[in-house]
Amino acid sequence: MRWPATWTEPNALSLLSGTGVNCLIFDQTPALQAVRAKAEEQGLKTASLDAPPAQVKVVEGAWPGVRMSGGASSDGGSAGPTGVPWVDSNQWITRLTSARHPETTVWIDAPAPEKARLSAGSYQVAVADVAACQGRWIITLDSLLAAGIAEQKADALKTWTSIAQAVKFFNARSEWSGYRPQAVAGVVSSFSGKGEFFSQEVLNLLSRANVHYRIILKDQVTGTSFEGLRAVLYSDEEPPAPGLQKQIMSYVQSGGMLITGPKWGQLPGAKPAPMRHPRFSSHLLGKGSVEVSKEDPSDPYLWANDASVLVSHRYDLVRFWNGGAYGSHYVRRADGQQGVVHLFFYGFRGPDSASVRVVGRYRTARIRTIDQAEPRPVKADFGKTSVEVYLPPAPQYVALELGA
Amino acid sequence: MQSRDTRRKWLCRAGLGLAGSWAAGQSLGFAAQAPTARVAVGRCRTYNSNELLPVLRKMFDQLGGLDGLVKNKTVAIKINLTGAPTYRLDYYALEDTHYTHPHVIGAVVHLMGKAGARRIRLLESPWSTADPVEEYVLQANWEPRDILNAAPKVEFENTNFLGGGKKYSRLTAPFGGYIFPGFDLNHSYEDCDVFVSLAKMKEHATAGITLSMKNCFGLTPATIYGTGAGKDEPSIDPKGGRGMVHDGKRQPSKSAPQEKDPGSPRQEGYRVPRTVVDLVAARPIHLAIVEGVRTMTGGEGPWIRETLTMVEPGVIVAGTNPVTTDAVCMSVMGFDPMADRGTPPFETCDSTLKLAEDAGLGTRDLKRIEVVGVPIAEARFDFAAIRRQRRSARRI
Repeated sequence: MRWPATWTEPNALSLLSGTGVNCLIFDQTPALQAVRAKAEEQGLKTASLDAPPAQVKVVEGAWPGVRMSGGASSDGGSAGPTGVPWVDSNQWITRLTSARHPETTVWIDAPAPEKARLSAGSYQVAVADVAACQGRWIITLDSLLAAGIAEQKADALKTWTSIAQAVKFFNARSEWSGYRPQAVAGVVSSFSGKGEFFSQEVLNLLSRANVHYRIILKDQVTGTSFEGLRAVLYSDEEPPAPGLQKQIMSYVQSGGMLITGPKWGQLPGAKPAPMRHPRFSSHLLGKGSVEVSKEDPSDPYLWANDASVLVSHRYDLVRFWNGGAYGSHYVRRADGQQGVVHLFFYGFRGPDSASVRVVGRYRTARIRTIDQAEPRPVKADFGKTSVEVYLPPAPQYVALELGA
Repeated sequence: MQSRDTRRKWLCRAGLGLAGSWAAGQSLGFAAQAPTARVAVGRCRTYNSNELLPVLRKMFDQLGGLDGLVKNKTVAIKINLTGAPTYRLDYYALEDTHYTHPHVIGAVVHLMGKAGARRIRLLESPWSTADPVEEYVLQANWEPRDILNAAPKVEFENTNFLGGGKKYSRLTAPFGGYIFPGFDLNHSYEDCDVFVSLAKMKEHATAGITLSMKNCFGLTPATIYGTGAGKDEPSIDPKGGRGMVHDGKRQPSKSAPQEKDPGSPRQEGYRVPRTVVDLVAARPIHLAIVEGVRTMTGGEGPWIRETLTMVEPGVIVAGTNPVTTDAVCMSVMGFDPMADRGTPPFETCDSTLKLAEDAGLGTRDLKRIEVVGVPIAEARFDFAAIRRQRRSARRI
């Protein structure tokens, strides 16, 4: 947790009692030295953003939620190119950083926008959005909330309690860390260099397009990297090295789909196929197919949306109805007997009558929410290949637990 | 069945006679001579194909049979997929409330295939996207292959943009049009021999009711008539809804026919019914089918701020004239098809049916319409009474 600059009294540390917060980030303000000393005396770890604890990687993120437009539109929300609300999430950057630094815990530095008067639910989403991907959001209170807590205002204390509950909720479910993210498409890139923005933004926008993806670092491809995937997106700026090209082509030959740009180069043995998308030329290769964009991809929004069509919504792992500005992260235990779908409702409140369809053969469904100690059964229709769950009025974060 | 050529010729003659005589808000004076056509009403309680197929087959036979209409023809069917596929009324499937049900679409396609249709094209302009319709309906939990396999040579086309065409097709309203003299539409609306409107029986927040004619509001591509339309030329991809047609705050892309009178009222209750009639005149409907097996009361979709309820009227209405078909639908719904502005369901808008009748497209006078199959009184599901109840509850 980033210690608020205005909490200069060491006795404010009592607020941390029973919260699960175990490390405090201080800036260099001399006024906080006494608090820092007292915290260390109480056994709390302390650090600064410049010098985080060992085995921690700190990256800058964005406040998760519907992006505010600064009053440009009548509803205060900012819209993407299709009019869909623009949602910020830190899931992609948490997952990418974990993939690059698997030995570390990822901390996301994404302070709340100042004076936004955020609800407790929004703070819980900030915690859950990162924690679902096994990272940690650095709790950073906006100045109004920090002042309210210091003044012992009831609303502010309630929000503080909610944040603490969210931290404890994920701390208590460490078993989820071993669950595997489910994916329909793999994204192959170095995610750095000249094409860094494009390849990273593709990850961000694939989530927005409801495509569940696997991050595949191009220099770490193994025999199992493409297992279970319907498609592989090659989003790197550079053409693939011969070895990587061979690995991907082998995946295509065995029935997969490659989505790439014209820089990929020759496709030996490929036959032209009927066009599947106006911005792509289609080719058949072995049991699979290759979709090559006619122009060098430059717009990650188009690329991600076109990929969602090429892969096809037929294979959506999670479908939402009445979810508003939603997002999800779907993980399963290695034996496939348990699945957890983290459901995020990034608007300003949770849904009243949302339903969710999840691919997988399950027989039980229940939901966990941060504010309720016990899981609750939910109404669901169980099919042979999927389950449709009817959520009761719910908060902004719900963990849907599915059992086979 | 009514001859398509005769009908087109008639419309053209009507259009020629009217040139230059149009004035906003005035009756065009064709009501007395507006054509009539038989309308079939069928009772259908479920979407099971065992029930749907015989009911629809019988209704089409009562209208004179599908063979004469579709044999060796390219048939275009405008379905109704209004609103995003991720937006439900409560937990109901979209097809149980506001989308044309896929089983009805499949049954109609199947029967048309059996009747010898050469090619069947399913058309819709889905909300704010150029994605294939198949991808759109998958998000609604449909399996498009069930429809595509219901007959040979069936395909979908998204008509919200240029689509598979090389250029937009310009279709003009022979009577001159109320708001628009014509439209630039996706080629699919011109490249067909037979045009079918396959609609859902619903009330509508702006137009009072949405039946076979109002279903055609979705013919307009958002690349030209949407909020993100290009100013001079159509945009590449469709963006946003058709706010400009509702409120008239801007004009379509300059490449398309512009409004006749930008000084006419900028009220959606005035503009939407008139634009619908302009569209139906420009793109005549040969077969109108309105399914109300299951539907909703209170509006056209879950986004309407009303008390909305899923209901099961268990009825299908079909006819070869959209005005007579919609008139029978209105009566089945408990409304008076002769109602005008100020009377339910047209409390705040003009009657699309009256405007269509005035333009000579068809009569709404039940005394002039032959109804076959289930009598209206037996088929009635009283949307009007529910509407009264809803509105009086709101007043309390």
